[in-house]
Amino acid sequence: MKLLARTNRYYLGLSALLFVLGTGLLYGGLQYALAHEVDEQLQQQRVYLTERIRATGALPTITMPQELTIDGPTRSESLRDTIIFDTIEHEAVPFRVISFPVAVRGQPHWLTLRKSLLETEDILKVILMVMLAVMTLLFGSLLLLNQWLSRWLWAPFRRTLKALRGYQLQQPQSLELPETPIDEFSELNQAVAQLTQRVAADYRALKEFTENAAHETQTPLAIMQAQLEQLVQDPELPERTLAAVQDVYRAARRLSRLHQALTLLSKIENRQFGSDGRPVQLDGVVQEKLRQLQDFMEAKAVNPQVDPLPPVALVMHPALAESLVGNLLQNAVKHNVQGGQLQVRLTAAALEITNTGPELRTDPMLLLGRFRKHNAASDSPGLGLSIAEQICTYYGFRLTYAYAPVGSLHTLRVTF
Amino acid sequence: MPWFRLLPRLYAVSTGLVFAGWRWRRLQICSRFSFLLAGLAASCRSCPFPFYAVKILIVEDEAPLRTTLLEFLRHDGYVCEVAENYAQAHEKIKLYQYDCVLVDLTLPDGSGLDLVRTLKADKSIAGVLIISARGSLDDKVQGLELGADDYLQKPFHLAELNARLRAIIRRRQFQGQRHIAFRDLTIFPDQSLVLVKDQPLTLTRREYDLLLFLLANPNRVLTKEAIAEHIWGDDADMADSFDFIYTHFKNLRKKLQEHGADNYIRTIYGLGYKLETA
Repeated sequence: MKLLARTNRYYLGLSALLFVLGTGLLYGGLQYALAHEVDEQLQQQRVYLTERIRATGALPTITMPQELTIDGPTRSESLRDTIIFDTIEHEAVPFRVISFPVAVRGQPHWLTLRKSLLETEDILKVILMVMLAVMTLLFGSLLLLNQWLSRWLWAPFRRTLKALRGYQLQQPQSLELPETPIDEFSELNQAVAQLTQRVAADYRALKEFTENAAHETQTPLAIMQAQLEQLVQDPELPERTLAAVQDVYRAARRLSRLHQALTLLSKIENRQFGSDGRPVQLDGVVQEKLRQLQDFMEAKAVNPQVDPLPPVALVMHPALAESLVGNLLQNAVKHNVQGGQLQVRLTAAALEITNTGPELRTDPMLLLGRFRKHNAASDSPGLGLSIAEQICTYYGFRLTYAYAPVGSLHTLRVTF
Repeated sequence: MPWFRLLPRLYAVSTGLVFAGWRWRRLQICSRFSFLLAGLAASCRSCPFPFYAVKILIVEDEAPLRTTLLEFLRHDGYVCEVAENYAQAHEKIKLYQYDCVLVDLTLPDGSGLDLVRTLKADKSIAGVLIISARGSLDDKVQGLELGADDYLQKPFHLAELNARLRAIIRRRQFQGQRHIAFRDLTIFPDQSLVLVKDQPLTLTRREYDLLLFLLANPNRVLTKEAIAEHIWGDDADMADSFDFIYTHFKNLRKKLQEHGADNYIRTIYGLGYKLETA
C-alpha cells in the first residue's frame, strides 16, 4: 500500500469521526438556540398582550387560531412543547406553547400562545448537507494537495530509489545522489551514500582477498613447479630421487588445480563476474567442448548422440558459460563406461546431458556438493559439478541430477 | 566465438615455427653488440634462433622463480636480463631494446600492467608475455587489450612458456617463408606439412601438435603433465590423458621410424618425453 493511500485512509477516518461529532453538536446547539429564541418571543408576546388587554380592557380578536386561543379558566400556567397536526401539510408539526391567565374587567381568561418550531428533520437535513459538502471539499482538496506533494516533494526520494536500483557493486564510482533541500531526504541520501561506500569497500576488499590468496598460493606453486621441472632435466638424477620428485611435482599440480577451482568458486559466490554478461551462443560452446573432448570419447568408444542443436543464446559471462558446459560434459565423459552412451539435448529451456555411468546408491543430488566424488580415490578434487551448480545458481538456472537404475543412466539437467 | 578461444588457436598456429635463416632487414636493426653475441648464441646447440641473439627481459619479483627462469632461458640460448621490481624494469625498458619482455603483474612497487603501457606508449618492438598468479579474467583481458601478446597463468610449465615465447618472437621479428628444420625434419607450419628427408609424412592432428611442441623444446624432458596441458588445456586432468599421450607418441615414433628418422623421441620412464638433438 502506498504511503499516501495509508495517510489518506487515516485522514478519512478522522474526518468521518469529526463529521459525526460536529453534526451532533451543531444539531444540539441549533435546537437549543432556536427553542430559546421561541421561548423569548412567546414571553415578549405575553407581556405585550397583557399590557394591551390592561390598556384596552378587551380581549384581542383571534385572527390566527393556531397562534392564539382563548380558553376557559381551567388551565394552569405553563410553558411546554406540543405537537399539532397540520391539516394543510398533513403532518405533525412541533409547537412551543405558553398558557397564561389575564383578567378582563375582573373576569379571568386563559390565553394560549403557540409558535411552531422548525422541524428537527429539516434541521438535520440542512446540517448534514452542509457538513457533507464541507467534508467533500476538504477531502477532495486534501487528495489533490497530496498528489501534488507526492509529485514534487517526493521527487528526490524517487530519484534516490532509482539510483539505488541501478546501482551495481562492480561499478568503480560510488553512488552519486542529487542535493535536496528537504532534511529527511538529504539524511536518507547521506545514509545511502555511506552504505554504498562501505559495501563497495567491503566488496573490493573481498575481491582483493581472493586475488591475493590466489597470488600468494600460486606463486610458491609456480616456484616449486619450475624448480622441479628443471630438476628432472638432470640426467644424473638417481631413479629413487626422480620418483620422489615426480610425486612432489604431481602433488604441486594437483594443489594448484584445486586452488584454481576454489578461487573460481569463491569468485562466483562473491559475484565478481558482475555485469560482464553478453549473449553467448550455447550451441557453439557445446559443439566446441564436444570437439575438445573427442579424444577422451574415442578412447572410451563413446559415440555422442547429439540432437540437432538449435541456436540458444544466453546472457552470461563467456568464461562461465564455457566452464558450465565444460564441467558437465567432462563429467559425462569422465564417468562414462567403455562403449557407453552420451546424449546431449539442448532446447531454449534446458540443456540435458545423459550418460551411462557407474551404479549409484546415494542420492545423486549429493554429488553436486563440494569435494564429493563417486570414486574417492580419484585424482580430481571433485569440484566440477559444484562449480557447475554455483554458476547455475548465479544465473538463476536450476541444476538437477537424476539417476535411473535401468541402464544406469545419469542425467544432468540445467533448466534456464 | 569468445575472444579468448582464439588465443590457443592463434598460438597453436604460430607455435614452434623456427626460422632458420636471417634477413638483411633484421641485421640492420640489431645492434652491433648483439650481432657479436649472435656468434656465441649460434654455438649453442638448442639455440632457437640461430645467428641472432634474442634479448629477453625477465620482470619477476620472486627470487627463486626469477633465477629458474633466467637459468632456463639462458640455457636455451636467449640473452637474458632480469628486473626484480617495477623501478628496475621501468629503467631497463626505457634504456634498452628487448625482443620480448616477460612481465609479472604483481610487483612490490607497481603493476606490471603499467610496464605494458609504457612499452606500448614507446612503440617498442618488444613482444610482451604476461605471467601472473592472479587468474583474474579482468587482468587477462586488460593485459591483452593493452597489447600484450600472450598471458600465462602461474604456475606454468617451463616448456609451455618456451613454446609461447618462441611464438611471440617469431610473430614479431620474422616474416616471410617459415619453416622449421630439425635434423632430417623440415616442417612448414603454414601448410601443416612435415617432410622427413624430403619425403612427406602423414600425421594426425594430435601427432602433429605433439611434434611441434617437442620441436619448441628440443633436448629437454617434457613431463606428461606439461604435454597433456598443452594439448588438452583444462581437460588435461581427465583420467586417460596420459594413456593418449603414450599412444600418440608410440604412433608418432613409429611413423618417424618408417621414414628412417630413428631415435628422435626418447621416453623418460615414468616422467615424460624428450626430443633428442642427435
